[in-house]
Amino acid sequence: QRFRFCGDLDCPDWVLAEISTLAKISSVKLKLICAQVLRDLLGEAIEYEKILKLTSDAKLESGDVKATIAVLSFILSSAAKHNVDSESLSSELQQLGLPKEHASGLCRSYEEKQSSLQDSLRACSLRLSQLGSVCWRVDYTLSSSELQEVNEPLVHLTFNVRDRDCGRTTAVSMTLSGDKFRVLLAELKQAQTLMNTLL
Amino acid sequence: KLNVGVDTIQHGVEGLAYLLTESSKLMISEIDFQDSIHVLGFSDELNKSLLQLYLDNRKEIRSILGELAPRLPSYHSLEWRLDVQLASRSLRQQIKPAVTMKLHLNQNEDQTAQVLQTDPATLLHLIQQLEQALGEMKTNHCRRIVRNMK
Repeated sequence: QRFRFCGDLDCPDWVLAEISTLAKISSVKLKLICAQVLRDLLGEAIEYEKILKLTSDAKLESGDVKATIAVLSFILSSAAKHNVDSESLSSELQQLGLPKEHASGLCRSYEEKQSSLQDSLRACSLRLSQLGSVCWRVDYTLSSSELQEVNEPLVHLTFNVRDRDCGRTTAVSMTLSGDKFRVLLAELKQAQTLMNTLL
Repeated sequence: KLNVGVDTIQHGVEGLAYLLTESSKLMISEIDFQDSIHVLGFSDELNKSLLQLYLDNRKEIRSILGELAPRLPSYHSLEWRLDVQLASRSLRQQIKPAVTMKLHLNQNEDQTAQVLQTDPATLLHLIQQLEQALGEMKTNHCRRIVRNMK
């Protein structure tokens, strides 16, 4: 059976197995646990202690608590990834055996944060490098060892490139003559016009 | 506390470690272990406690020894992205799809990443080859070997 929130594929076996664990927790507590999991997915700190307190009534073992967090993370992020609306998500979760109140609580939390989740996922999509900043300086060369009167402008450019994985910034520096710089600027403006036609 | 020199204790510890790792490595039975240490001429009590020590710790020692084998880089995760090239400095009005992948590998707690890029046709070929490789496990030849290993 195909599920939209799994990307039109079968639901993974481990998710199916953990749905029954989710049903052991009361629907109110489940909604609160969802809020914590959403915080983690959005890059804020997760408060594990709170989750432990919320699951203590259901008498879950520590392995079950971690499994609960894992399955909720999967359901919420996968639904956001495939742009599933909360109604469809609710009906699909009920098809998998999650009780109605649990499903609607979960989906209400999902609906509130759906666009923030998608923004956050878009931001951490694969990206090779990122331009941090650009620094420039214009000099005027008066004279050199080759020619007594040079009188030429000179542009120094430094691109600070950030590596996503290690967070290191590399500086790429270059020096351009006035003409070269004009060519670079013209080409980049053409590229910018093309980008604007797409937006 | 034992009133012996540092060297003696060091040799004693090394000897005991060697005895336990070699026995665990070869997974020798109780009887073989008892026969081996009998040669050393210790008291019966000592032989019994050595045997108990061996049996209690055998499994854990084996699992630690198992992790000492050299390892090749192993798969950690794969990030991917689908792009379409619309224009370049030399040519406008293009439509060129490309898949960019970042393969994350683990080697002895070192994380490395390889960036790869391919067009959809090569990607399909790659998928086909990998599915063929998986399919090999289902051939009679592989099945026979797996059955004999169990």
